[in-house]
Amino acid sequence: MLRALQAVLAAFFGVQSERNRQRDFQQSSPWPYILAGLFMAGVFVVLVLLVARWAAAS
Amino acid sequence: MLQLLYRSCGLLLLLTGPALASAINTSSGWNMPPGVTDISREIYSLHMIIFWICVAIAVVVFGVMFWSLFVYRKSKGAKPAHFHENTTVEVIWTAIPLAILVIMAIPATATLKKIYDASDAEIDILVTGYQWRWHYQYLDQDISFFSNLGTPRSQILGEEDKGDFYLLEVDNPLVLPVGKKVRFLFTSNDVIHAWWVPDLAIKKDTIPGFINESWTIINEPGTYRGQCAELCGQDHAYMPIEVRAVTEEVWLSWLDEQRETAAAEAASGEREWTLAELNERGAGVYTTYCAACHQADGSGMPPAFPALRGNPVMTSAEGRDKHINAVLFGRPGTSMPGYGTTLSVNDLAAVITYERNAWGNDTGDAVQPSEIRALLDR
Ligand SMILES: [Cu+2]
Repeated sequence: MLRALQAVLAAFFGVQSERNRQRDFQQSSPWPYILAGLFMAGVFVVLVLLVARWAAAS
Repeated sequence: MLQLLYRSCGLLLLLTGPALASAINTSSGWNMPPGVTDISREIYSLHMIIFWICVAIAVVVFGVMFWSLFVYRKSKGAKPAHFHENTTVEVIWTAIPLAILVIMAIPATATLKKIYDASDAEIDILVTGYQWRWHYQYLDQDISFFSNLGTPRSQILGEEDKGDFYLLEVDNPLVLPVGKKVRFLFTSNDVIHAWWVPDLAIKKDTIPGFINESWTIINEPGTYRGQCAELCGQDHAYMPIEVRAVTEEVWLSWLDEQRETAAAEAASGEREWTLAELNERGAGVYTTYCAACHQADGSGMPPAFPALRGNPVMTSAEGRDKHINAVLFGRPGTSMPGYGTTLSVNDLAAVITYERNAWGNDTGDAVQPSEIRALLDR
């Protein structure tokens, strides 16, 4: 699961090394990646919301 | 060889330097105007900060590029490298732009917050876009009027030399006092327009059924011009904006003047007008409101815009009611709008009379303002 999170973060940032990519694509199931992706998308939305609120309040 | 490159670079800078400097000089007209409000100056300095950041990035990126092109050229025996991906470099060239964007967002957000804070305004003005004119209503002063293109038709048609403010002048400018917070409410009567005055740093869409908001405090008296910035149909280019900023005393006396004119106008709607009076006024109204489609000589642009000259509706007694009805309430299913709510009864009576008598239509009909008033009140 930690590996999936790391892969999702790399995807969000837009840079991933070839070694990690090979490792990720040798996994048996894509589900940890899909779930981690959805979870991180939610975290990102909440983060943007919090930053916007903080900026509007300060 | 390297020396030659340095020299040519220096020459290039020498040649383009003054041009660049004068382009950045705001009076040249190439750059964005700093404007006459605190907000517009803030936006201008944001624009300049970001411009210089872009220049710095360009110098670094193109510098490295041209330097590598020159130093590692094939004729010097340079061999291309054959590697794929370098994660460290990729992380760096993603993180640096990200950091630059965040740095730029901080002052931009601070300014945005000020732009959206329309609270505590002393004057409220409702700006309504029409095809193709602006309407201004001073909500607390009980004053409202249309602001039409002031450039004469003859200049547009090329029969006369163009004036200094060609297509940037109006008959009734928006008059505002300096040093007071003015809140604008924007909406539209028909399609989407945009009220854009660069010197006030305001560019807002006016959307039917919506109200947008903005505000300004003008620092310096003067005349500030703008245009509709949203393509809105045939005469989109012919609905300019003219804002006249004056001292408070001048503004107050202007308000009194406007109220007097409005009262006199209302009073004259009661009396009987002569045919000549109606025709004279009607000619002006026709030029402003009708000539764009029906043409100055009444020949129209058939089939979309029918001719009025020689039209049986305008030349016969039977057509009179139909004619008045079309001008007041429009013709559903065509592009003819009703002017019953936009023009005064005096203007309506005058323009209908004019159309029934101009270009050889010669009915001799004088349509009285009182008759129009009765129809509109029904
Ligand atoms: Cu427009």
